[in-house]
Amino acid sequence: MSEMTEKKPRVIVGFICERSIPIHEMIDAQKALTDDPETKIIILPCSGMVKPTQMELALANGADATFVCGCAINDCHYRTGNIMIRERLEGTRNPKLRKNTDKRKVGMFFFTMKDKRPFLDALALFKASTENL
Amino acid sequence: MYKKFLNLTKNLTVSLEKGLNFLTMQENNPLYFHGALPLYTFWFLIFSGIMLWMYYIPTLDRAWTSVNYITSLPVFMKDAAGNLLLKNGNPVVAAISPATGIPYGAVVRGIHRWGAAAMMITTVLHMLRVYFTDRHRAWRWLPWVSGVLLLIFVLFVGITGYLLVWDARAYYLVVASQRWLEAVPLIGQSLSTFFIGGDAIRDFTLTRFFFFHIGGATFIFWLIWMHFIRLHEPVVTPSRAVNFLTLGFILVAAGAFPAVNVTKELIQQFPVLIGDQGYIASDAPAQIGFLVEKIRYDAWYLFPYYLIEKVGVNWAWIILGLATILLFVAPFYPKDRRDNIAEVIDAKCTGCTFCSLDCPFEAITMQERAPGSKFKLIAVVQDARCSECGICVGACPFQAIELPNTHSKTIDGDVLALLKTGA
Repeated sequence: MSEMTEKKPRVIVGFICERSIPIHEMIDAQKALTDDPETKIIILPCSGMVKPTQMELALANGADATFVCGCAINDCHYRTGNIMIRERLEGTRNPKLRKNTDKRKVGMFFFTMKDKRPFLDALALFKASTENL
Repeated sequence: MYKKFLNLTKNLTVSLEKGLNFLTMQENNPLYFHGALPLYTFWFLIFSGIMLWMYYIPTLDRAWTSVNYITSLPVFMKDAAGNLLLKNGNPVVAAISPATGIPYGAVVRGIHRWGAAAMMITTVLHMLRVYFTDRHRAWRWLPWVSGVLLLIFVLFVGITGYLLVWDARAYYLVVASQRWLEAVPLIGQSLSTFFIGGDAIRDFTLTRFFFFHIGGATFIFWLIWMHFIRLHEPVVTPSRAVNFLTLGFILVAAGAFPAVNVTKELIQQFPVLIGDQGYIASDAPAQIGFLVEKIRYDAWYLFPYYLIEKVGVNWAWIILGLATILLFVAPFYPKDRRDNIAEVIDAKCTGCTFCSLDCPFEAITMQERAPGSKFKLIAVVQDARCSECGICVGACPFQAIELPNTHSKTIDGDVLALLKTGA
């Protein structure tokens, strides 16, 4: 019987740099990934624009997990945006995530505009890792 | 149309890099260090150049001989089977091999020669990569324009390097350069006189070429400073693996093909040298008044002379001049609409400097506030330098800097709205 129980829908919020994966062609009118409707997308000019507080806001308001996706490391269109957000989320650059934020629910990916499939695979792994948190 | 072309080139470039990622791993892909590689190879040229400088004599009668002295290696005689010929148990040294010379001098000159090729190749790759990925326009104009100047000076220093060995090719290049300069209206003759340091080729001519070579290389450092001035924390060295790979390429090239002065004529005279000739870097010594009909062209530095030979001096000026003008104006077209430049909210700015320290293009400066203000400093955005990336917004803990069309409050609202709609 338990196998027949429907899984509770989850909500993942992703902050995505418009110059990394081809995000404009990957979302529907509700800003959800067409390949994964549980994942809602905020598109930004650069991943370095993401504030850690915005990811905390998503988690505090019901998101099951949140992630940021920027350009491939060493290849940020704006030179350092991906490094900045990586360091902020790792806690080595200000502003950082709050200490009481569950960092297991915070993901980060760095892909090129040709990496649609690798991104979806990485996202699936991330979602699976946060399923029972 | 032009933007579509840039999109296409970007797609192709990213595909190429992605392919290379499989071989090198992403963190060691040399294409991601395209800007640092020319500088890295430049250090090889500086150090090998200083070593060559110690023995080089810039006079007409001694230049070729001094280069020969630097690069001469003992050449051992061999029999038909390739075995060393021995006399009293010692290998027989070929008649033309001088008794003295600088140990590994040919390898050091090889490093200088192959390092120069590597620098030009990586510089051109860097330029193409930046252009193809559309990272040369608008707020990036200064790095691009200084980059074009760097390309010109790298070419100039490279060409003057070919003149210093003072062989038959160097003399040919000097005569071709004079013809080229003399074709400039009004000041052509003066340019030509300035180039050779007088009305005829004398010892001063080589002193001048030496000055052009060393002075040009020094000026390259100043241009590199200009190149970096609007970049926050520029990448000046590749990853360790890429460093070692480049070092290996240059050393292997210099070791396998050391730069030596074995001329074709000498090889004809001593066929045994064919196996030991290495890379023939120089021809026979220059003889003023004796111009060879053809020279060996180097693909990286001597293409202007190839052009002169093929199309004549006037067309060479037109073609190279137009190409240079196109390179200089490239960052200014097409113009994008710039309506999302970062704005500082004065009342919220505490002067913490986070935005200024994180801005990748040095577009934010910290200025003193009026005396008596609550905070000492305030961030000021220089509009022309702003890339509208929003990194400063991400850096600000006080919501004191915003992109007007991508406001943090709008993003927060979007997050909440998405969560409300649920899965």
